[in-house]
Amino acid sequence: MKRYVLYSIALGFVWCFVHGVVNLSNFLIGAMIGPFLIRPFKELYSFGEEISYREKLNRIPKQIHYFSILIVEIVKASIVVAKIVLQPKIDIKPGIIAVPIRAKTDVGITAIANTITLTPGTLTIDVSNDKSALYVHCIDIDNAKEIRDSIKDDLEEYVLEAFE
Amino acid sequence: MNNITFIQDILSNFFFIAGMFFVFLGMLGLYRLPDVYNRLHATTKIGTLGAFGVMMGIVVKLGFGPMGIKAITVGLFLLLTAPVAAHMISRAAHRHGVGLCEESTLDDYGKTYCPMNSSCAVKHEETIEDEHDQM
Repeated sequence: MKRYVLYSIALGFVWCFVHGVVNLSNFLIGAMIGPFLIRPFKELYSFGEEISYREKLNRIPKQIHYFSILIVEIVKASIVVAKIVLQPKIDIKPGIIAVPIRAKTDVGITAIANTITLTPGTLTIDVSNDKSALYVHCIDIDNAKEIRDSIKDDLEEYVLEAFE
Repeated sequence: MNNITFIQDILSNFFFIAGMFFVFLGMLGLYRLPDVYNRLHATTKIGTLGAFGVMMGIVVKLGFGPMGIKAITVGLFLLLTAPVAAHMISRAAHRHGVGLCEESTLDDYGKTYCPMNSSCAVKHEETIEDEHDQM
């Protein structure tokens, strides 16, 4: 039941944003349609686990921090790729490496995979069968260990804080 | 009052031009880089930033009215969906045996499964069924 309330609130906001006018009546319409939308896709939301509102609320500042870091990383990533594209002769050493991850839940793994894709020079291809490693395509694989360390230290910390 | 609209125009035009420039670079990367995976680098990252720049231009120009809020929503959805699309395309390409380009130095992923049109393809299909069973 708690999940229905939480997702209804989230979908209410989504409805407001898609509609373009943020006010109470729009929010209530979205929140009322929400449960009917969640119902058929119940398997996709993990209804089995217990959750607490307080924990979710405590995470919101960390999630905002994570998004601000993500936007900075996207700008950096675009500049890195733009530099490569604008070189007169393209000189790259691409390759696929396995990167071990610490995230355990599905949400955490999805978040870190998307973050890796949006950060400089890396693109997630797949997750290993036991969910302990991601296969990452790097555009310039000079130093595989350095890439693994940068993912582990810089990005994973924030993702773990925000989503696990 | 006039000054504010003037500054707004300059800022929004700056965002438009920056976004368009990044979209152009993405297309250039799509043309110049060697294989599927490298091209996806160009289209996902630069494409996201380019589209985001255009959306920001709209927000600055029109303010937080209905249009501006819709632009922000579109930008956020792009931010969510572009990596997922890139992941699905690259995974499907790799599984169907699209090789990496000649300059590539390492392929950890290739060792973990059998490609579809090789001799162990039957085994591969079985593993896919197993995955479905687990779900």
